[in-house]
Amino acid sequence: MEYYFGILQTLGFHVLLGYSAYILLLTGQLSLAQVGFFAIGAYASGILTVLFEWHIFPALFIGAIAAGCMAFMVGFPALRIKGLMLVIATIAFSEIVRLIFFNLRWRFEINGLEVGPDGAQGFREIRYFAANGWEIYEIVWLIWTMVAVATILLWWLDQIKAGAILRAIGSDELAAESSGINVTSVKIVAMACGGVIAGLSGGLYAHSTTYVDHNTFTVLLATFAVSYPLVGGLKSVFGTLAAVIFIQGILIEGLRFLGDYRTILFGALIILVMNFKPKGIVDENFVKGISEYLRLNKKLIK
Amino acid sequence: MRNSIISWKYFLAAYLIAVPAMSETTINIAGWGAKSGPLRSFGVNSQAIIDAAITRVNENGGVTLEDGTKAMMAVEYYDSGCNAEQGIAVARKVASETNALIGIGPTCSGVAAASFGVFQKKVDDASDTGLQMALLTDTAVRNGLAKISQWTFRNTPNEPDMYDKLFAWVAENRPEIKTIYGGTETDQGHSAGTYSKVIVQAAVRHGFEWVNGPIEGVNGTIVEGFKNVLSSSSNWLMADTNFSVQARAFKKSGADMFIVSSHPFTTCGFLKELYRQKGMPKMLVGLTSSSSAETMKGCSKQVEGMIIPTSFAPITDAAKEVAALAEANGGAADLHSAAAWENVMIIKQVIESVGITGDPANLQDERRKIRDGLEALETTEGLLGTVSRVQDEGEALKPYVFVQAQSGNWEVIHDPR
Repeated sequence: MEYYFGILQTLGFHVLLGYSAYILLLTGQLSLAQVGFFAIGAYASGILTVLFEWHIFPALFIGAIAAGCMAFMVGFPALRIKGLMLVIATIAFSEIVRLIFFNLRWRFEINGLEVGPDGAQGFREIRYFAANGWEIYEIVWLIWTMVAVATILLWWLDQIKAGAILRAIGSDELAAESSGINVTSVKIVAMACGGVIAGLSGGLYAHSTTYVDHNTFTVLLATFAVSYPLVGGLKSVFGTLAAVIFIQGILIEGLRFLGDYRTILFGALIILVMNFKPKGIVDENFVKGISEYLRLNKKLIK
Repeated sequence: MRNSIISWKYFLAAYLIAVPAMSETTINIAGWGAKSGPLRSFGVNSQAIIDAAITRVNENGGVTLEDGTKAMMAVEYYDSGCNAEQGIAVARKVASETNALIGIGPTCSGVAAASFGVFQKKVDDASDTGLQMALLTDTAVRNGLAKISQWTFRNTPNEPDMYDKLFAWVAENRPEIKTIYGGTETDQGHSAGTYSKVIVQAAVRHGFEWVNGPIEGVNGTIVEGFKNVLSSSSNWLMADTNFSVQARAFKKSGADMFIVSSHPFTTCGFLKELYRQKGMPKMLVGLTSSSSAETMKGCSKQVEGMIIPTSFAPITDAAKEVAALAEANGGAADLHSAAAWENVMIIKQVIESVGITGDPANLQDERRKIRDGLEALETTEGLLGTVSRVQDEGEALKPYVFVQAQSGNWEVIHDPR
């Protein structure tokens, strides 16, 4: 079971990473900065549990808040631009963050062992879970509780006015602005919320893998982050969930024996979805189909 | 007729004496490494050699179990890429979903650093829920990784010792070489770490001078002043494709010896540009990982003359045979992949010394026995000679030779064994 729990861990933090991109995509913004926020959460929470011996919960919380604050600050200049320029700006931000951690060396001795980030050598010994007797199912429980909370919050957001505002900006920014919505503020709040979720995901990632280095936070991971909601569809938060299960669970893990061909399949999947399901797998028709199916089943049961 | 029956009886008796009973049991081991991505060749080479070693063990009758019967060995090799998440997934899969007694791998030091972290740090620590299965690494060579967990061991070369002896030898044999300059791929932990913490210090220790005057804090002691080493050098990244600025800096330095601490791909890129700029020095020293077939395939002309210490060269009968078997299996033997052969033989030796039943019901106990057996080893037989074990750290001290690129081959120029 350890292996399957391990896969669930991986799926969990990828779902959260996908959600962080999803919330911003609702406003029509394609950001590759999520991986930068993910890195901030990973390093911040790792430093707190390893160097300062904090408990995991406050460490994850501070990691998420730190990433959220950074997203908020980055949001001001970044979200004044859009489209391709925003993509370039957010890649640049992620690279800056990556290179900061690439050069970060902050180590001291704890219990006879020198620990802490060590530049290009990475940051190892982030062993809070194993060292504190957490069984793997407890870690999975923690990660998926976070995923469930995030899913419920994002689903609920979609049911209230705030969600409608996000989608209104995503559909037509000019029209939304004309109807009195402060577009920049909303986008910055969405960016900050995405940053918090990515930071939380990064914290969970660092403690699950026990090691992070600058190579973890590349543009490839940023591409995965935005591809989950794009492939899954923006109609529902469950699209991102489905896409992560498909890409990480089946494509990456299930087809491990295919080696490099998995990358080709991933590229082919993106091309296919963009061409045949431009609104993602879980689009309006899919949601409608599911609703009708459920309604039909209800009638039959009655 | 009667004579014929008697002779058959003798034959049968002789056969039973000569061939120990074969057990139905199969001893499973697992391997994993980068079989995808830019470092794919490392995994391919390791797998080719592990397969060859397992075949050899089985051809020789298999491995002797606790009850004296023989069992065949089998290996399953997984692709973990050069990705920490995937490495951990494979480690968990092998530990929890297979009957593998031990693992061999991974390729990349970053993956090793991550996956070693999910193993139990100290044996018998009930409060630590990490994985409990021994791992004997063949490739990931970054310094000091095995001490992350008491379940992890490595059969990788000891670079501080190798470069120390290399520069001592160069100082003695090439007295005209006085000054050094160098560079590394800074985003690769092994390349940059070995360069800035080991190689330059070893050169300084043996009297070589940094071309632009001494580097502050570098006095020949390992690690000392490593940040200044990096800032004084001309460096690149693994994904770089343009090395004109770095090559110019090397050429301008005018040093007698250039140190190029990089993987084969960027070593070749850099050397091609240096060659184009006509900046080749009197002597080139490279990173252990570059003493491979990839470098020769990529830039045999430009790498000509480079000297590298390596723990593998086809200079013994056993090493020659492994090199041939690797090639026959679609791989190449080098200091990383050849260690995989040794690992299989070490595992066979340990299985036979600690007494394994191969019964899946005893899997966890037997994994522990294997770990304890590995820890108890003081020496092992390697392809180039006897390998000493530094068991409090789980590391190896392997024999090595100095090779030089000559006409498209790595030729041994000094054998300090």
